Amino acid sequence: MKPGRMDKIISDVKSFPSMSNMPVKILKLIDDPQSSAAKIEELLRYDPGITANILKLTNSAYFGLSSRIGSVRQAIVLLGWRHLGKLVVASCVNAILDKPVPGYDLPAGELWRHSIAVSVAAELLAKELGISANDEIFTAALLHDLGKLVLANYVREDLQAIETAAGEGIPFHAAERRVLGTDHAEIGARLLKSWSFPLSLVKAVRWHHDPDAAKEPRAITDLVHVANMLCLMIGIGVGREGLRYEPSQAAAKRLGLKTRQLEFVASQTLQWANELSEVFEAGQANVGSPPATGAE
Amino acid sequence: MRHVVQVGDMKIGIDGDVVVTHALGSCLGFMLYDPVARVGGLLHAMLPLSRINPQKAEANPYMFVDTGVVRLFNEIYNRGGKKSRLVAKAAGCGRPIGNNEMFKIGERNYTVLKKLLWKNNILLDAEAVGGTVSRTVHFYISSGKIIIKTGQQETEL
Repeated sequence: MKPGRMDKIISDVKSFPSMSNMPVKILKLIDDPQSSAAKIEELLRYDPGITANILKLTNSAYFGLSSRIGSVRQAIVLLGWRHLGKLVVASCVNAILDKPVPGYDLPAGELWRHSIAVSVAAELLAKELGISANDEIFTAALLHDLGKLVLANYVREDLQAIETAAGEGIPFHAAERRVLGTDHAEIGARLLKSWSFPLSLVKAVRWHHDPDAAKEPRAITDLVHVANMLCLMIGIGVGREGLRYEPSQAAAKRLGLKTRQLEFVASQTLQWANELSEVFEAGQANVGSPPATGAE
Repeated sequence: MRHVVQVGDMKIGIDGDVVVTHALGSCLGFMLYDPVARVGGLLHAMLPLSRINPQKAEANPYMFVDTGVVRLFNEIYNRGGKKSRLVAKAAGCGRPIGNNEMFKIGERNYTVLKKLLWKNNILLDAEAVGGTVSRTVHFYISSGKIIIKTGQQETEL
């Protein structure tokens, strides 16, 4: 490991542009029994971009609502608060995850597609396994690779050494750790912890490649782990490292997962992942363009 | 013309076309070509058997190896392809590290393909399958040439 490298990475974590604190605020409000739809609406009122995205997502085929939703309050009533939390987080992180990721060779938009696909797959797995779904599963899956954005340039710089280490048959994140002193899972967890995300979510991100190393096994971590492997295998967001990660036998066993369930979830994931990621692609032109002023 | 084949899809190309598919992990890339009729097809199938989700298979037979391969043969025959002249090649079917049977979707994809071809007396002319790499395929219909890219490396299949 190069001297001072780890300090430099940690300093990059600290200076990483923080995303809006909206997701953490919303997740707290949703957990608060005293909370109300009005409070959530009040909070979102000041962010028209997020509100627009929430309405687009709510009206997407993924949620299969029969009537068109025109307000956040209606969305809360029809989808419930849990779903709303997920939509807020997805709306907030879209701009961050949409960027190209050098080092891992992911073109613009691919990490976003991967993140959405893993979220969809993790929820489908939970449903298939009869594990009660909560919004943290979706959010942890959505943010599991956040650390790649910090590590990307370091991976690119030391790609040769990392590839040589990975060539010995160790998983890619272990090769990152050997060369850089850390890996994208640890960096992602540090970022989320510094942004005050719930601990179980932070841990799911921290151990998404190595769920057996977590102190306590948790379904959320195992689900993100399996969903991530599955999405890489079906080619959604597979980067330079290819399939050089190791699926945990123990995680599949803890979840009680069967081969047919894994394959069934794969068959369902693609359509919904495309559906959800396209909502944002279609929306970017509107959200990103300046408001018409009539001045020209 | 350039055709891009998404996951769970198939495209046919004619003389002058190039058919491309990206990010073959454990999915099967199956290329079928008639050099006389100058017609070729590329299938990017995700899962081995359609019985896992018959509803999906009905809507999209190309998601599965068993239904997708049969459909590809029929499409090639409909465009003047003759069985005696067909050249069949396969790519993809990769797997993650370790020996977790459940995650050997790539191997199961390959096995179903081989069984189907064997039943129909067709042999694979070339293959680039297995391993942990992600592959991109460029299939040039004029010449039948197939280039496989893995990272920075390019090889002819």
